[in-house]
Amino acid sequence: MKDRLLLLGYAIAVLAATSVHHPSWLAAGLLVVAALAGRQAPTIGWRALRAVLFFNLVISVGYSASALFGQAVSVDYLILVNIRVYLLIFLTFTLASRIDILRALSFSRGLTYLVTLVLSQIISFRRLFGDLRLAAESRRLRRLQLRERYLQSAAAAAHLFDRAEHDAREIALAMSSRGFFQRDAADHAQRD
Amino acid sequence: MHVPDGFLSPQTYLPAYALAAGGWAYAARELRRRVDETLLPRLAVLAALAFVLMSVMLPLPGGTSVHVSGIGILAVVFGPWLTFAVVSLVLLLQALVLGAGGITVLPVNALAMGLGGSVAACLGYRLLAPRWERAGLFAAGWLASVVPAALIAVVLGLQPALAHTTDGQPLFFPFGLSVTLPAILVPHAVLGLGEGLLTVLVVSFLRRR
Repeated sequence: MKDRLLLLGYAIAVLAATSVHHPSWLAAGLLVVAALAGRQAPTIGWRALRAVLFFNLVISVGYSASALFGQAVSVDYLILVNIRVYLLIFLTFTLASRIDILRALSFSRGLTYLVTLVLSQIISFRRLFGDLRLAAESRRLRRLQLRERYLQSAAAAAHLFDRAEHDAREIALAMSSRGFFQRDAADHAQRD
Repeated sequence: MHVPDGFLSPQTYLPAYALAAGGWAYAARELRRRVDETLLPRLAVLAALAFVLMSVMLPLPGGTSVHVSGIGILAVVFGPWLTFAVVSLVLLLQALVLGAGGITVLPVNALAMGLGGSVAACLGYRLLAPRWERAGLFAAGWLASVVPAALIAVVLGLQPALAHTTDGQPLFFPFGLSVTLPAILVPHAVLGLGEGLLTVLVVSFLRRR
């Protein structure tokens, strides 16, 4: 319940942040979110900054450069859009650090199951990818040629697929042996 | 091609949420109807692959980004509705885990990439595959990259007209269609070649298994 309330509060905060167009109000909102983040505020703040820095820089520079072509440029707009984007990302990361996404999505059993599988696969892909990269580097005596790099990537991708699908099938079998799919069939029969 | 959070007005993302909600309800029904021990693991594997592929983003001057997505693969293997469901889920996880995209832009990204991209990919594939299977797969990948890019370019380019101050200054995304269309479409037309190739390779690989 707590996770769903957090999700609802987040949705309201996002709506407010995109409906207010005064930088001072958005800055105040940022301070509130930083206070809510507590001791994690500097870490989340830095992460959020890294996430938005490049995009906002590109937009801000591009918008400022349009003054060269005779277009009216507003400093207020630059302040507004940068604070708003940073506030939204800060808010999202603060929520992500406090919410259990599986509990928040627990209103649907199928969705929870799919999210569990997808998250497990993402972790599996990342770990395997890192292992393969380290294994390849440790066996390398010279810089690989382009063709060799392609072949290595293709072999790694094939291995990633095999391994991930094998893991996913094992999880599905485990769920099946505990009656997950039978319950689905029963639900369908009941509805029909 | 993710639009970052904070660049779309409520006039855009609220109707988009209403539209996407209908699509999500239908996609959930499709998922419940088709779910079994074979489909779900494969769906999860390809969703994770899409997550990993979409995580590698190169920012574009127009304020968005370029990346391969795996949507062509998902669309050919599972059809548009399951692809829409999976891509929406991947985008939600990306927003919460990586801060890529975001919650206000989720429905627009999901509709453009998950539905627009996958419908275009399926149509391209069905049109060409009966005679030229590989060309059909390549077209699916290319269209899955270019069609969402075009849709997102239009949505972004409309922002200055949809939300601005009384003196005409933008409140959200600042550039109009004359900037967004070339800035987003041209790189995606080139990147689409890679997406097309990836679709041919991965779908051929999956069919051999």
